[in-house]
Amino acid sequence: MTEQSTPEIELSAAQSAEFWTGKRKQRFWRAIQAILILIAAFIMLIPIIWIFLAAFKSHVEVYQLRLFFTPTFENFGTVFEDPYDLGSKLFNSTIVAFVTVIIAIPIATMAAYSFSRFTLKFETTILVVILATQFVPAVVIILPFFIMFRDLGLLDTRIGLIMVNLAIVMPFAIWMIKGFIDGIPMDTEEAAMVDGSSRLQVIKNIVLPMAAPGLVTASIFCFILAWNEFLFALFLTNREATTLPIGLALFRGEEGDLWNLLSAAGIIIMLPMFVLALAIRKYFVQGMTMGAVR
Amino acid sequence: MRDQTLKYLLVAPAVLVVFATAVWPLIESLRFSFYQGRTDRGDFPQNWLGVENYEWAFLYEPAFWNSVWVTGLYTVITVALTTLFALGLAMLLAPGGKLRSGVQTLLILPFAMSPALIGVSFRFMFNPEFGLFDAFFGVVFPPLADVSWLADPDLAFAVIVMADVWGWIPFLTLVLIGGLASVPQDTIEAAQVDGASGWRVFKDVTLPQLMPVLAVVIILKAIFSLKTFDQVFMLTNGGPGTATQTLSHYIYITSTRYGQVGYAASVAWLMVIPMMVLTYFYAKFVFKKD
Repeated sequence: MTEQSTPEIELSAAQSAEFWTGKRKQRFWRAIQAILILIAAFIMLIPIIWIFLAAFKSHVEVYQLRLFFTPTFENFGTVFEDPYDLGSKLFNSTIVAFVTVIIAIPIATMAAYSFSRFTLKFETTILVVILATQFVPAVVIILPFFIMFRDLGLLDTRIGLIMVNLAIVMPFAIWMIKGFIDGIPMDTEEAAMVDGSSRLQVIKNIVLPMAAPGLVTASIFCFILAWNEFLFALFLTNREATTLPIGLALFRGEEGDLWNLLSAAGIIIMLPMFVLALAIRKYFVQGMTMGAVR
Repeated sequence: MRDQTLKYLLVAPAVLVVFATAVWPLIESLRFSFYQGRTDRGDFPQNWLGVENYEWAFLYEPAFWNSVWVTGLYTVITVALTTLFALGLAMLLAPGGKLRSGVQTLLILPFAMSPALIGVSFRFMFNPEFGLFDAFFGVVFPPLADVSWLADPDLAFAVIVMADVWGWIPFLTLVLIGGLASVPQDTIEAAQVDGASGWRVFKDVTLPQLMPVLAVVIILKAIFSLKTFDQVFMLTNGGPGTATQTLSHYIYITSTRYGQVGYAASVAWLMVIPMMVLTYFYAKFVFKKD
């Protein structure tokens, strides 16, 4: 049936059955789908949008369900002042995530190359153990560290936090980088070796440059993981080394939650991660599933 | 240097780090679990207790069983809801095009959010006076208009489920879109030519092809649901009472507030066991491909 069909009123029963087949039906379904997609997108975004709005509201307006208000930047100043001092948390988060990545990526790259190019004794076992450590509940890992750091005086230090963060980041880094190196063809390497290059020269001059985009992706992914880490920081820090996610608890005052400040802090936590995540969005799924899904 | 030596030297640092940061604490926790390990005494751990910590959890701690129940229910519901919604959304978004790929890009955002922050935002959304979701549910379902969500045990549980499902749908959707893309298009078209309805095509062609990917996401989601802590801590802190106290939260409270690290370690190890089973199946899927 074509689109220029007879007016709907004149349709007989048989015709109206036909009316719903073909192009019209297709168009109807497409519209329904578009509406469903928009609703889903809206639900996904609304808590984020709500935080963005609240961050620019005054402490009076935040307690009202209003969409229109005079925006203020005041909250972003207040969160950095006493007693909240978000600046020190921002500093801690940045240092901890950055150093964790700086340590993890070279170590993971070396291992990933070896796993990718050679056959090792117990290779599968080692890889499974590395994979499995990712699934160990963080509370199990933290208890011995909590005791050890207490005895060594490492509680509430950035060094302590970096050490335990490696537990989270390493398995992802190894698996992700292994995936990238697996994708680099071996012939260039072999040709260079035939020409007399040593294995280490090959790694330095051929593999690393080719794997560079993958290494950057893995670094960003690990940075996000370390930045958002919560449980370790909750156990190990209380004043000096607290990170941003823990800092959120500061805004739960005697008189209840200070939503405008919480939201401003929330933006400071999530906005940089949004930018980073969007930059590596194609690899996010691969990284998270550690190659189980390609 | 010969490759034979080099290949082990390259792996050694990584193996050492993983051993020190994950394997050692796991074993040390197991050791703690057989001791009386209180943090308010001088030496740690104190007396050898054998399996008494485990016995205590099983026989004398209703709070332990409560957190097992909360965690189990939470895991089953969040896995089911997240998978269903994500599958629906993936089917909607898979065809591609401007609108769809735009939405796919947005899906990365909730996933880049700190789970602690997701907890905070949902506490905000369900605030009885000015929470948007609270207002929405009040309009759609009037009996819920004046309730304080986080003060009611069942509703508080519903909120932590919603926060988790909200946070995980995007990731599962993205994985499933990838899975749908690998379903051969000509098989689907062949079924359509044979006159199969949309539902039949989905049930008999798409779903079986999607099964391996579905299995992976279900296992992965189950593991992360079992471990849940961050949002719960920020949203309800286990309350009201212990209505939303997951195992991780229970371990946190017993070890930090009550200083019973030995006992907490035994509960933690009871959590490790189901995790190992799930990991076993997950690893099978990962290595099947190679």
